[in-house]
Amino acid sequence: MSIQVEHLYKQFRVHVRQAGWTGAVRSLFKREIRTVEAVRDISFTIPSGEIVAFLGPNGAGKTTTIKMLAGLLYPSSGSIQVAGYVPFEQKAEFKKIMSLVMGQKSQLIWDIPPMETFLVNKAIYEIEDRAFRQTLDELVELLELEELLTKPTRSLSLGQRMKCELAAALLHRPKVLFLDEPTIGLDVHTQEKVRRFIGQYNREHRTTVLLTSHYMGDVTALCDRVLIINHGKLLYDGELDMLTEKLTPYKLLEVQLSSIPDISWDAYGELVDAKEGKVTLRVPRERIHEVSSRFLQLFDVRDLNIEDPPMEEVITLAFQEDAHVS
Amino acid sequence: MFRKYSVLLRMKYVEMFAYRLATIVWMTGAMVQPLITMMVWMNIDPDQENAFIFYFAALIFVERMTSAWDVWELEREIREGTFSYQIVRPFHPIHWAIAENIVYKALFLVILIPAWGLLAVFIPALRLDQIGAAQWLLFFCALLLAAVIRFLFSYTFGLLGFWVTKVTALYGMFEAVSLFLSGRIAPMSLLPPFLKTISFYLPFRYMVGFPIEILTGSVQGMDIVYGFGLAAVWCMFFMLAVLLLWKAGLRKNQAVGG
Repeated sequence: MSIQVEHLYKQFRVHVRQAGWTGAVRSLFKREIRTVEAVRDISFTIPSGEIVAFLGPNGAGKTTTIKMLAGLLYPSSGSIQVAGYVPFEQKAEFKKIMSLVMGQKSQLIWDIPPMETFLVNKAIYEIEDRAFRQTLDELVELLELEELLTKPTRSLSLGQRMKCELAAALLHRPKVLFLDEPTIGLDVHTQEKVRRFIGQYNREHRTTVLLTSHYMGDVTALCDRVLIINHGKLLYDGELDMLTEKLTPYKLLEVQLSSIPDISWDAYGELVDAKEGKVTLRVPRERIHEVSSRFLQLFDVRDLNIEDPPMEEVITLAFQEDAHVS
Repeated sequence: MFRKYSVLLRMKYVEMFAYRLATIVWMTGAMVQPLITMMVWMNIDPDQENAFIFYFAALIFVERMTSAWDVWELEREIREGTFSYQIVRPFHPIHWAIAENIVYKALFLVILIPAWGLLAVFIPALRLDQIGAAQWLLFFCALLLAAVIRFLFSYTFGLLGFWVTKVTALYGMFEAVSLFLSGRIAPMSLLPPFLKTISFYLPFRYMVGFPIEILTGSVQGMDIVYGFGLAAVWCMFFMLAVLLLWKAGLRKNQAVGG
């Protein structure tokens, strides 16, 4: 097992400050401290080589968990093992086999070109000259970095910078890769590129990848398995397809007809939309065969399409129906 | 270790040149306060004019060679969360700070030494021909210790950033005390006796004043030995403080920001 997490908890103590003048003065004399439970009893395992997505709304506890896995945060209780190491022990051997990329933070040195950061990483990760050359060449090609290496980091666009961040994080060929919102703020085209790169890298190097994202595109493109977390609790751990079946026990049936007959659709399913000859129905999964064949018998069908409901909808449901998923 | 340092030094060197103007402004700006203080003292006691010129010129040199800005950097990095990337990499962040100090101070050195030489041609008070080899050796040892203590002092406060968000405010208070007790406002010999006694035991004298006193010859014999003893004690104290605060701070770390 590459990553093993058992009964993980993290509490933060935060100062509560009232707004306004009196609140500011009051907080000088009496500081109210509130405990926030960011992560509550999370357990999961990820075998090596797997790529898994961590999904959850803002403030769900995804980043906190990733930071604990990378050894940045000290868990309040519970145990973590990553490739056989306990992350918070801060062992150099552990740091050499893992990498962390945070979409909102930069490890590149701001005022000088990315190549300088790469060289610093080469030294501190003790990468051999040949291995460094080889890896760098590969990354430069895959991520199309050639032109960017010698420009000061601050003059790069967000997308260009993110590609360099990924390269900087992968130079030492980590076995475990934590990606916290790697595509945040990127345009659709660049998102797609970064996504394709991560997928390819995972396949070729059997790197274990745990990624968090707000974009469903990232998740559907890269991961079969998802972990859904909200209010610090793990709600679902399993395949993406299974989640869809569990949460949305219906499929969408789209039928293109020559004309829309004036009948009640209740016998077939729940009507979503009917216009310009196209009827869209929400049909229970177990009835989809029966309903579609009845359509073909009874109506002049020009086109028929059966689809799962959009992923966004599934996830929204997952976040709402805390109890039903797990 | 040596290879890692050589790469870090090179990187900091490149980075320093990215901020050419800032570096120059910062360096010359720091000379204003000692120069004005010097003129004030020369006005108060014109007989001692030459002694003041030498003292404050030495002060500017020692100030630049020992000044530490690490608390500002650390506070910013911890508060903004960029420190996280230093923690997850397999090399202690203090090495980055040490490399930066070495590079900047090497630059100050190559500028200040020729500048002193040039000024000494026109200002006899700055000539160094009276100073013996042993005195030079003691001076450089004291200077090195001063740089180390001041760096560790600043880094210690920086690490407090894990607990206090605006730790530079706290540091500023100590800096104000240090201004008087380190010999930056007035030579040690001019302090009232009770302040002199206090400053003998506190770390501030060993951050700036002590090397200058060796150079001007105002500290002699056994007092030099005691001075080095106390400097060594403070040096070890802050090393221990950095070590302990680092361990405790990581547990406290909130690794802020998404």
